[in-house]
Amino acid sequence: MTVFDLLIEYIRSGRIRIDRSRFPQLVTYHDPCNYGRKARMRFGHGYFEEPRWILDRCVERWVDLYPNRMHQTCCGGGGGTLTSGYNPERIHYGRRKIEQIRAVGAEMVAVPCHSCHAQLESIKETHGMEGLEVKYLWELVADALLPG
Amino acid sequence: MTQNTTAASAGAPAWECDQDLCMTCGICASACPVAGIDAYDPRRLVRMAALGRTRELVEARWPWICTMCGKCEQLCPMGVRIADMVRGIRSLRERDRVPGILHKGLAAALETGNNLRLPKEDYLFILEDVAGEIREEPGFEGFQVQIDRKGARILTTIHNKLVNTHTEDLKHWWKIFHAAGESWTVASENWEGTSWGYFTGDDAAMKVMAGRILEQMEALGIETLLWPE
Repeated sequence: MTVFDLLIEYIRSGRIRIDRSRFPQLVTYHDPCNYGRKARMRFGHGYFEEPRWILDRCVERWVDLYPNRMHQTCCGGGGGTLTSGYNPERIHYGRRKIEQIRAVGAEMVAVPCHSCHAQLESIKETHGMEGLEVKYLWELVADALLPG
Repeated sequence: MTQNTTAASAGAPAWECDQDLCMTCGICASACPVAGIDAYDPRRLVRMAALGRTRELVEARWPWICTMCGKCEQLCPMGVRIADMVRGIRSLRERDRVPGILHKGLAAALETGNNLRLPKEDYLFILEDVAGEIREEPGFEGFQVQIDRKGARILTTIHNKLVNTHTEDLKHWWKIFHAAGESWTVASENWEGTSWGYFTGDDAAMKVMAGRILEQMEALGIETLLWPE
């Protein structure tokens, strides 16, 4: 079961309740290659709409990056590049993603992928967005949980 | 976007034959975020494969700088599985010359059950320590970390960085499970969620890692896996 299916199950059934006012800042979402484009090409379904459904329920203001979904740009942290040692190349690779985030004016980016999360944290300062908050999608949910 | 359904989607590994489908149009190179680094791009890589310049490809850095993001093959009119070809080229690199810590981490996982060689005792200490921190938060006083719990609904794996440098990030899913009243568990051994054979082109290692998770599920009588890695 994917992280998206489980979060949607919890939210739909009312097993968890979320405070949408917890994050007032403008949020954006990055489509990881493996959950999106590659899942679509290899397995016939890309997880594009599920994370956006979850975001709708967690934050009041969020915008898509451009380009997105099948045309999204890789953050540069995929394919094991975080641990292959070619760090200047990896950081250079990520400049486009930070430019896209800056272009929509987001203060926070949500991702459902450990590699994308680590990459965005690692490159944001070099490319001039040290104040950018990088959050796991499920971290947004956990931080906005309402009691009982 | 349509899925490419040319001959390339048949059974043979991308590495063996896909390069022969290439019409040299170069759309892949136009789409590639790292075209030009070391004078490489996907088109050149596919052409070199077609011309039998395998050793040069295996020795090149470029297949390890490419993230296998798939933009090239999304646009390829012939359905060449370029990302899989890159992975196939990676698989031919001698294992002790795989860049960075990729193979070292994988070798550690195959030997010890996790990329860090983290002993079980230390691992369990970290889990309980983080569980104690969660209990200090309002609303989570009754939180318990569930280890090797038989018959739980969900087994979840752990990314090694969450029991290394990022223990705070263990808390998110655990808090959600608690709030949802979920019946969940993590394994005391072979808990590693990453599978670096995906990156190094090592299918045999991936089978071992996935097989261990399946064994855990069978031993604990669990039908659902949450694999956030």
